[in-house]
Amino acid sequence: MTAEIQDNTDPLVKSSQREALIVAGIWLAAMFWSVGCSAWLGYGQQSQPPQLMFGFPLWVFWGIVVPWLACAVISWWFGAFFVRDGELGQDLQDTDELGLGG
Amino acid sequence: MPTTLSSAADAANTQSLPSVGIGAMAMLVLFIAVSMWIGLRANRVNSSSGFMKGFFLGNRGLGVWALALTATIQSGGTFMGFPSLVYAHGWIVALWIGSYMVVPITGFGILGKRLAQLSRRTGAITVPDLFRARFNSPSLGVTCTIFILFYLSFLMFAQFKAGAIVLQLAWPSGGEISYSEDAAVADLRYHVGLIVFTVTVVAYTLLGGFLAAVWTDLFQSLLMFAGVMVLLFASLSAAGGLEQATLTSLRNTGPGFVYAPGYVASGAATADPSHQFLPLSLAFSMFIVWIWGGVGAPAGLVRLMASQNTNVIRKSIYVLSIYNLGIYLPLIVICICGRALIPSLEKTDQIIPRMALLTTAHWPGGSVIAGLILAAPFGAVMSTVSSYLVVLSSGAVRDIYQRFFRPQATRDELRLAAWIAMILAGVISVAVMWTPPDFLQVFIVFSTSGAAATFLVPALIACYWRRATTAGTLAGMLAGAATVLLLYIVGILQLVAPQAIGAVSGFRPWFLLGLDPLIWGLLASSMSAVIVSYCTAPLDPKLISRLFDRES
Repeated sequence: MTAEIQDNTDPLVKSSQREALIVAGIWLAAMFWSVGCSAWLGYGQQSQPPQLMFGFPLWVFWGIVVPWLACAVISWWFGAFFVRDGELGQDLQDTDELGLGG
Repeated sequence: MPTTLSSAADAANTQSLPSVGIGAMAMLVLFIAVSMWIGLRANRVNSSSGFMKGFFLGNRGLGVWALALTATIQSGGTFMGFPSLVYAHGWIVALWIGSYMVVPITGFGILGKRLAQLSRRTGAITVPDLFRARFNSPSLGVTCTIFILFYLSFLMFAQFKAGAIVLQLAWPSGGEISYSEDAAVADLRYHVGLIVFTVTVVAYTLLGGFLAAVWTDLFQSLLMFAGVMVLLFASLSAAGGLEQATLTSLRNTGPGFVYAPGYVASGAATADPSHQFLPLSLAFSMFIVWIWGGVGAPAGLVRLMASQNTNVIRKSIYVLSIYNLGIYLPLIVICICGRALIPSLEKTDQIIPRMALLTTAHWPGGSVIAGLILAAPFGAVMSTVSSYLVVLSSGAVRDIYQRFFRPQATRDELRLAAWIAMILAGVISVAVMWTPPDFLQVFIVFSTSGAAATFLVPALIACYWRRATTAGTLAGMLAGAATVLLLYIVGILQLVAPQAIGAVSGFRPWFLLGLDPLIWGLLASSMSAVIVSYCTAPLDPKLISRLFDRES
């Protein structure tokens, strides 16, 4: 019975779920990279002379600029190649017995 | 020839800074004219379709650019509050805003496709519509409407005030430029500004509805991008490059300007010398707040519902990704240059207009370029108000008037009701803001966090969890809202010892365990929604099948 229900799940629902999970993973990875790297190179360093990379403080370069560029590339890959197109369906017009539409 | 660091800094420190000229007012007038034209164009498009879906949802026809550049959480704050924070606290604000690197992919990738599908399968035009139909529960729809009206009212009032202040101070004889609340001297210019702003924004929204809001939003987003690119070039030229700007700003302030947890000026309004702008706990918090606050914002949810197809949604991910990259990092760089060129600006929210005026002063046509940059925040405020007006009036007309009083209302009747709702919202806003209260910023932050804590988890479970029940969703909404409200009340009334973290302000929430209230709100909302759903009877399997399974 469960298998039947799962099989009958709309493909767009399945692909949306899968993509949402991947996105959540990307978000977590970005968070741990960015905050982790900033914590390592940027916190507790105020007594040190400033280290710069292309004018950015070193921790900003590795903790923000590089992951931001990486996320831009990943977003392009994700949007261009990973997300599946699907039919969104027709707009329901009139109210039916389940209370939908109207 | 570009202005050099020393000459520009000398100009900033030893002479009065360039003042607002006719260029700024000319650009604002031009912006108002373009907005009215957009309203008329949208009106023509809407008139060829059904009123409700056309006026409140743009016939689900949003394309890539319209969806990408208008559906997330850009607002007047992008050009006002955010640059002020960079100028005040330094490079640490890059970490504070760093989560915007994933806002495009989370904003469209988590709920986008499924929400667009669900809204079509339910025939929903508004967010309350969606919840009512998904759970077959009018009471859930009403609860949703009440929350949206509550949060958006606070957000909208503050924007009206900001719009009036921009017009007041852009007046050629208006003197200083400032978008800060304390500049809101209730003089004649403020009142004229308030009325002109209100009439303009209500008029074009009333004419064009959702499409007018979206198109002006798109227009101002492109204006912002152009303005930032020009200002980035001008600022780096004037400051002698980024490295020079960083080192000079460091000398002008202290090590905190370059390193974490950020610079806090000794004269800042905090009693605690150990005040930290962004301790690690808040750095983690911001990666959650910006992301999930954006995904759960009602105005953003509506725009996802209006997207044309899945192709538009996936392309929006990378269009917005490139746009964000071109806005936020450059704005930080501009403000770092600003701290080098103008070391001690008293009103930090002036930094963008000051830099626009300072760095373009020697350019041919510099005042027009400065005007273009100054018009960007005004456009941002107008488009934000416009989108709130649409959501508010749709709540009043669709979710209350049509749903409970006049289900058989004609097209003309609904149009009249929408117009009355918008005009009423404008009149109330003018009345409330005639004598503007201070510290509206806290209500903006509270409303944003509150709305996300209220709607995010319910929206997620509505889209993806078959077992979610009406009671569970309602519990999720109430628990999220109550938690955020409680933490704000505790902080504002200072029922606990003051905490030396976060932005310096007299009105701050209680950061329980150093974390932002939204995190606790989302936690409470998730737990309540899941537990109550499992404790209550599942929904009608036929309804669930219609919304989750293949269409037969």
